[in-house]
Amino acid sequence: MREVAIIGAGITPCKGRWVEKTYWGLSQMAVKAALEDASISIKEVDAVVYGIYNDIFELSAIPEHPLQGIIGMANKPGMRVTCGGATGAYAMLSAYTWVASGLYDIVLCLGVEKATDCFDFDSMTSTPEVIKTIGWSGDTFYERELGWTASDSYAEVVLAYMDEYPDDLTDEVSARITEILCQQAQNNPYAQRHGESVTAEMAMNSRYVVYPFKLLETCVYTEGAGVIIFAEAKKAEAICKNAGCPPIWITGVGASNEHHVAGKDERHKLMHRILSDHLAAQAAYRMAGITEPLKQIQIIELHDAFIKQLQITMAEMGFVSLGRSDDLINEGLMVPGGPILVNPSGGLTYGGHFVGGSNMFSCWSARRELIDKGFERGLVHGTGSTVAQYGCAMIIERRN
Amino acid sequence: MKKVIPPELIPDVDYEILEVGGERFLQTNEAMFTFYKRTKGEQSPFFLALKERKVILGARCPKCQIVRVPLFELYCPECEFETMESIELPDTGVMNSTPPITYFAHSLFQHQVPFGRGRVLLKGADTALPIHVYTTKGILTPRIFKKGTEVKVVFRDERMGMPTDIFAVPLSELSGKQQKKRGLQESELDWTSPEEPSVPKPTPETTKTLKQALTKLSELAGKVATSERAQKDLKGWKRSIQVKTGGGPFGILIDDQKLSIQDGSIEAPDFVMVCKDPGLFEDWMDFRESLTNAIIAEKLWISLNSEFTTVFKLDRLPRSLKRT
Repeated sequence: MREVAIIGAGITPCKGRWVEKTYWGLSQMAVKAALEDASISIKEVDAVVYGIYNDIFELSAIPEHPLQGIIGMANKPGMRVTCGGATGAYAMLSAYTWVASGLYDIVLCLGVEKATDCFDFDSMTSTPEVIKTIGWSGDTFYERELGWTASDSYAEVVLAYMDEYPDDLTDEVSARITEILCQQAQNNPYAQRHGESVTAEMAMNSRYVVYPFKLLETCVYTEGAGVIIFAEAKKAEAICKNAGCPPIWITGVGASNEHHVAGKDERHKLMHRILSDHLAAQAAYRMAGITEPLKQIQIIELHDAFIKQLQITMAEMGFVSLGRSDDLINEGLMVPGGPILVNPSGGLTYGGHFVGGSNMFSCWSARRELIDKGFERGLVHGTGSTVAQYGCAMIIERRN
Repeated sequence: MKKVIPPELIPDVDYEILEVGGERFLQTNEAMFTFYKRTKGEQSPFFLALKERKVILGARCPKCQIVRVPLFELYCPECEFETMESIELPDTGVMNSTPPITYFAHSLFQHQVPFGRGRVLLKGADTALPIHVYTTKGILTPRIFKKGTEVKVVFRDERMGMPTDIFAVPLSELSGKQQKKRGLQESELDWTSPEEPSVPKPTPETTKTLKQALTKLSELAGKVATSERAQKDLKGWKRSIQVKTGGGPFGILIDDQKLSIQDGSIEAPDFVMVCKDPGLFEDWMDFRESLTNAIIAEKLWISLNSEFTTVFKLDRLPRSLKRT
């Protein structure tokens, strides 16, 4: 395997609705920003991987096909990846693999989603139709007819965790994390909820969407695009030297998909675990030589579909013990000035969640922190599918 | 015949021009629709057994003896794809974990909220059956179903061969005879509406609290009249709500973008809300509590589950006014 580095990244502003742009336009914007960031021409890029989650959002069964030409990649290889919420992470894993394998030297990974063109003409709002559209992602034989949604599916996992650990995931801690993420989003000029001020008290008192998830502790729906450019070592170093920006190395990757049916043991989904996150992180740690994640990782951009899921994922990835996720706040681990910086972008709850590109958004932010703040190592995470079935993790490093 | 797509959900062919930042953008009504005659294939025996025999089928691996339900596999992937055998499962078991309750659903389910979707470990099974959970005792709140709650699978009177042909109720809500009966149907259950909770007689303190709440509610109603955002929340909606509190009764009247508050009793309300503490409404307006959460916490009772839609509309108002 060859060494691979990130040489450029670009995102669009995250907006609840882009009336002014289609997903074609958003894609062009993000590609242009990433190429400018890397100071390279699209002509230097060998191949493209697309992360687009849901055909229905884009109103096309092959939504990537019009992008190939308009981003300047005509006559070059292009492949779409779709893996539910973890689409972006899996797309980046694919782009990394193409470079690491030696197949291509420079690969552009583009994630895009246009969710809120969907519109419910009954309530005259978008949200119910967006939820319905995602509702086609569940088990269509046994669960969709029961009203399966992404929210109630993740709620199943969180409630099962709370069955096992009734003293963890207190509302006070989840609300405090919400407040921190909202504050951190104010440092991200592209964040969807830039300019908002949500306090822990407001989060505590916001209404339930699906018990135990409250409105202000739930990810937003976003329209936007994000691009990460991967390159092999020699070209990465040369390009980054020219751009005046350090290469950010990919030193570990890992992924795991669980069974979608709940059962009594690990042959099926253990509902109180997010084993996919655990296994993905462990694989990435092994590859990167990480044995004590809390000491060796300084910045985490984690896929926070829901705040309580963020807490469980942090436990599954080894930053706190299972059953002690409230230590993230109670022991000061992720409070401002604490040992780990979690979701400086504001995360998917306060930064933005354009599903196919959300993990590129996270990667963009983690890279920014490594470059701007001089951190050594970061972790980018994606979760997705029913009952948090899919997990994907990537370790990124800056070498001084 | 019921339509695959409810006709009221289908929009007209239409367009509109939106202005953003001084530029004009075209927006058109479109749909992505495909009709199916979708085979249930190898899953058919499970659904046919529900529909025709009121029986739940699972599958057992003759090699490792694992029992999976529903019958979703031909072969056991753990045993080099050994052929699974079909078996009948009992209709009682326990909740695999605490089931989520949906309060805000998409358009196909929003008129059913709140509803619970859980998984039942039937006796003898190693995997859990996805299923709706219901209580016969009123509004579904998180208190009712927990991990390990004993439940019985009940069959709909009219069955289509769908996952919704069955649902689970707490075993404790059934008589001994019902608990033992195989193929118990929904019409055999007692769905009698639970009694409206009583409220204590007003005291000087609760009367004062209600008076304060009514003053603030009237102010809120006045602000709605000047807020486009809040008016949008109530657009096309008409409801009269009788609220009974420990400080006395009052009415909330919604009439297409307008909100008004009426002291005392109202005639022929669409539904009733009951809460002991009238201070709840001040907490609601000051963002200390939402009406949805109050229902979940059983501090507020509503007479019709279907009126959760109205509760959502009301819950939006304080935030909409703050954003105005």
